[in-house]
Amino acid sequence: MAIEIPTLPEQLPTSAPRFVGKEVNRIEDPALVSGTVEFIDNLSLPGMLHCAILRSPHPHARVIKVDTRAAAALEGVEAVLTGEDVGRWCAPAFTAPEGWGSYCMAVDKVRFVGEPVAAVAATSRYLAEDALELIQVEYELLTPVANPDEAMAPGAPLLFEERGTNVIQSREYTWGEIDRVFADADRVVSRKFRWNRVGANPTETFGCICQWDLADNSLTCRGAYQTPRFMGLGRAASLKLPANKVRIITHAQGGGFGGKGGPRGTDIAALLSRKADGRPVKYIEDRMEYLLAGGGQSWDRYYDAALALQADGTVTGFKVRLVDDQGAGAEGYGTISAAKPLAAFTGNYRIEAASYDLTLVATNRAPTYPYRGYGPPPHNLVLESLMDIAARELAVDPAELRRRNYIRPEQFPYTVPSGNEYDSGNYAAVLDRVLEMADYRALREAQAKARAEGRLVGIGVVSTVEPGVFDWNAYATVGVPGVGVPEGVKVAVDVLGNVTVAVGFNLQGQGQFTVAAQVVADYLGVDMNAVKVATASTDVAMPHFGQGGSRLGVAVTGAILGACEKLKQTFCLLVAHLMHTGPEQVELMNGRLQLKGAPEHGMSIAEVAGVMLARSDLLPPGMEPCPEATFVWTAPNRNLPDDQGRCRSYLTAANATHIAQIEIDRHTGQVKILGYFIVDDCGTRLNPASVEGQLQGGVAQGVGAALFEEYVYDPQAQPLVTTFVDYLIPTIHEVPMTTKDHLVTPSPFAPLGAKGCGEGAIHTTPATLMCAINDALSPLGLEILETPASPHRLWKLLHGHGAA
Amino acid sequence: MTTMQKIHVTVNGKSHAREVEARLTLADFLRHELHLGGTHVGCEHGVCGVCTVLINGQSARSCLTLAVQADGANVTTVEGLRNRETGQLHPIQQAFVDAHGLQCGFCTPGFVMTTLELLGENPDPSDDEIKDALGGNLCRCTGYQSILESVRLAASRLQTTQSA
Repeated sequence: MAIEIPTLPEQLPTSAPRFVGKEVNRIEDPALVSGTVEFIDNLSLPGMLHCAILRSPHPHARVIKVDTRAAAALEGVEAVLTGEDVGRWCAPAFTAPEGWGSYCMAVDKVRFVGEPVAAVAATSRYLAEDALELIQVEYELLTPVANPDEAMAPGAPLLFEERGTNVIQSREYTWGEIDRVFADADRVVSRKFRWNRVGANPTETFGCICQWDLADNSLTCRGAYQTPRFMGLGRAASLKLPANKVRIITHAQGGGFGGKGGPRGTDIAALLSRKADGRPVKYIEDRMEYLLAGGGQSWDRYYDAALALQADGTVTGFKVRLVDDQGAGAEGYGTISAAKPLAAFTGNYRIEAASYDLTLVATNRAPTYPYRGYGPPPHNLVLESLMDIAARELAVDPAELRRRNYIRPEQFPYTVPSGNEYDSGNYAAVLDRVLEMADYRALREAQAKARAEGRLVGIGVVSTVEPGVFDWNAYATVGVPGVGVPEGVKVAVDVLGNVTVAVGFNLQGQGQFTVAAQVVADYLGVDMNAVKVATASTDVAMPHFGQGGSRLGVAVTGAILGACEKLKQTFCLLVAHLMHTGPEQVELMNGRLQLKGAPEHGMSIAEVAGVMLARSDLLPPGMEPCPEATFVWTAPNRNLPDDQGRCRSYLTAANATHIAQIEIDRHTGQVKILGYFIVDDCGTRLNPASVEGQLQGGVAQGVGAALFEEYVYDPQAQPLVTTFVDYLIPTIHEVPMTTKDHLVTPSPFAPLGAKGCGEGAIHTTPATLMCAINDALSPLGLEILETPASPHRLWKLLHGHGAA
Repeated sequence: MTTMQKIHVTVNGKSHAREVEARLTLADFLRHELHLGGTHVGCEHGVCGVCTVLINGQSARSCLTLAVQADGANVTTVEGLRNRETGQLHPIQQAFVDAHGLQCGFCTPGFVMTTLELLGENPDPSDDEIKDALGGNLCRCTGYQSILESVRLAASRLQTTQSA
């Protein structure tokens, strides 16, 4: 029988949902506030050793000799690992495109500062770090490649000599008649933009405990893993083990935001365990390692972009040329983040033609990894900044210019030129609501008054689309094969009516365990405290991906609903058999299997489960005694991309408009946020408090990217940012307390109508703040097109010390 | 390097006599010697505030404090807040749950300990006073708005309890 997934909360088998759509407290929280959650560094195993990693101080050098004799002789040191072991036992990381990966530890040369060159396992971390000081490494220094210009210059030193170039990928996508719309345009605005490196920086760094079973040559990795099975496959490939001999047990994580997983650290700890006769080895990345070389640097971009407009303000074309500094290879899937903008290339607008000229370049900076949003935040900065510049040139209000170009409600589902289909939305209604909430007219009047007083006050109004529920087909362009991202669960009912949901991922902060409990409790008519959500290790879990791509809340909802539908069908068969009637006469409602039209005749799900497990004599012939069901969900109706990368990739399209009012201090260059307003529409809000938390958290990270955070490298590719004193995470003083409202346009395609909502705010906030800053600067004829707009950069701009 | 020192520390009301290396941080002592894992470690250079504990009632970075410096001191960690008998959360912890003041929860013990100090000294803080107190704690998930609300809620509940 076909499994139908409810697309609205009203379709759940309950007279009124008690939990879905409500601001219920999170089931995760009592343990988290008590400090009793088992984050990986809280776990110790018998006989466990501690790993410390020696890292390269050079951005580009040949490793001539690693002398570990003194370290190995130190009392308490049980194993030492070098590139020689790694070259013998391992394979380089798989990458997309292929062939741009390194080994977990330098085998012949180092390609960035912080790349591992040796590692030690000792009886304490303190001792392991002592031992590192005894290791002597002889390097032959090579000329570093510090940026894409240097990397692409004729005769440039090569990072991967066998590739013959530092260009990882170069291709151009053309969608529609781009040359014609630019030739016919009444006005073209173009600018160059520079987005400097930022990154995830969860408060918990990566950590793991790896144990190599020497008897059956298998590996168990416990740790902070965001995408357990994907990580397991990668380890199997790099450590040359069958995938079913790598077991990943993922622990709760102190945030992720993209790069949580530590493939190099895992491989190194695993190999140390192998060398230490199978004793478990713990590796906890410290913050300086994270900032130097962890999976946390993203989006190092140089843009050259143009917008074509007609005289009435209709935008007809959008051309983007992107050179993306990937760092030392493609091991962190940074390439994918350059492909993601295809899912919403032209934003909220009816733009008929677009082109994307994409060049991904390897340099001797640290490799780039995913970060929340995965590419659109810089892309949206470019598009929205050009919209504002066009509005200024046309002397049209920037909100009005956006409104004129919005996709209209009756046009959904709407296919954008770059191929993705947006499911639903009402962009003008969102804009109207935020303009009203912010009292936009009053903001503009206040701005005029402030300007007359010589103050630099600016307003940004920015609209974005958040592609939600990622699919692998979105990344086929950089060489990731596949359509569909399975997410599986098992739902089990016991004889007392308790329900256990087994999933393949663990806590990371977004509250998916609570969402899972809300959905299953409303479907099966039990209380939320009767629901246990448990993480299965990869050897027994259903196919899964876990957190990533603004997807998991929707995907796990779909999987649970599918499993519940299957349970319902089986339960109806059993109850119909017991009542001597047909299954079509039985329905599930409020936790009871009952006769349609005579609801007093029925059984609770606990009674049904009890019969199944304890009265095989009552079951219909051939029925399994199993009140459990599995279901693996993937987004429906996805397809392969065409030769220009066009496909239905992301299932949902949430949208938002943010308004920021800021003031720049002329004397310090500091930006003060005076007001911040958000109206968004992510369809059904499964837990409104969690949605608000995602929005506000994204705003904070957007504030960081726009105003403070930057991985600075010197001209020799030496990182200058290695502590939180240099990498400035916004505190409670810098993040605005925002005023929020929302609209609800349910997705017609997604489970319960919910759209991906974890990334929208970081897609929008950087552009909003930069547009506001440029609005403030416009009376001076100044412009800042580089992020972050730090006090230092703005002060230099305001005081004429060169271009910002 | 491996000089051992005898220390006597009272943690959450329980006294511990141990011999530790002089270089052992208080955070590592609490986490790995006393197995009190609720005090997390985020940067180990004193910026993020994740490892905040109270030493003799004053908030301190346990990553920048050596265990030997806590000799003779009274240390309070997040494990000391919940009611031991009933398991009931401290009103500050409950307020963080009710106002959704956390997401991943890794920084939360630090915020809770800082809030405990703040509300002990200033039971009815203004928003600016709350921000001043929490300005040394980083949270990467929440954007702080719900944390501010949690502290307000905790303050109002504690005041109601005390005046009742």
